Amino acid sequence: MVLWYKNSFLYDNDFETVSLAFFNRYPNPYASHVISIDTVSRECKASGELCTTRLIKKTGKLPRWVKPFLGRISDSWIIERSEVDVKNQVLRTYTRNLDHTRIIQVEEFTIYKYNPVTGKTLASSSVKFSSGFNLAVRSRIEQWSHAKFDENIQRSRMGMAFVMEKLKQHQSLG
Amino acid sequence: MGNVMSASFAPECTELKHEYDNCFNQWYSEKFLKGLSMENECSKQWYAYTTCVEAALVKQGIKPALDEAREEAPFENGGEPTDNSG
Repeated sequence: MVLWYKNSFLYDNDFETVSLAFFNRYPNPYASHVISIDTVSRECKASGELCTTRLIKKTGKLPRWVKPFLGRISDSWIIERSEVDVKNQVLRTYTRNLDHTRIIQVEEFTIYKYNPVTGKTLASSSVKFSSGFNLAVRSRIEQWSHAKFDENIQRSRMGMAFVMEKLKQHQSLG
Repeated sequence: MGNVMSASFAPECTELKHEYDNCFNQWYSEKFLKGLSMENECSKQWYAYTTCVEAALVKQGIKPALDEAREEAPFENGGEPTDNSG
């Protein structure tokens, strides 16, 4: 069983602010589970897009019934890929977990697209949960991740909003 | 970006990371977004930071999985998942 989750959100901010906030979204008060974030590669393509690969380390609270499978593991590593297309005011992002992938893999595709008519930036996300475990365990893990995801996406938006507010203050201070 | 910045997974690289991130943020907002530059103008800071991170990564078990994931091309379909059957 593979679960998909889709949703979108409109930020009242321009592309400059949203994309800069994306690169600076940690730390924020809504992401205390993020331990570190490192850029491992960054380059401009000949066509002009800025491509970045980052490595994120998170500490996650897992439900008790997962422990027999995971043991004492609590940290996880995430890869984040992104592409900024400044000509079209689009930011494409992709994240997935690098470890514990036999238990569950969570892949998130998000596209941030600026609308010059409204002056707002639309973030559209598709998230795929998949697991290699037997069906019964799988559906429990996947349902749990799905519920958890609702909470996580709320927090990540609050985090982005917090960072954008901070950027605004920083800019107005000159 | 104010005084609070995120840490590196390797504590010895955090200071170098902050120097690079500061340079990147400035270049990104003042040059790249305005279409003024596609050149990496933070190469000195980048070299110091990435040398530190690469050395620390070798000691982490995650390196093979990271290298494998870096070979993937997630944006081939314009950033949309290819298998979007949900």
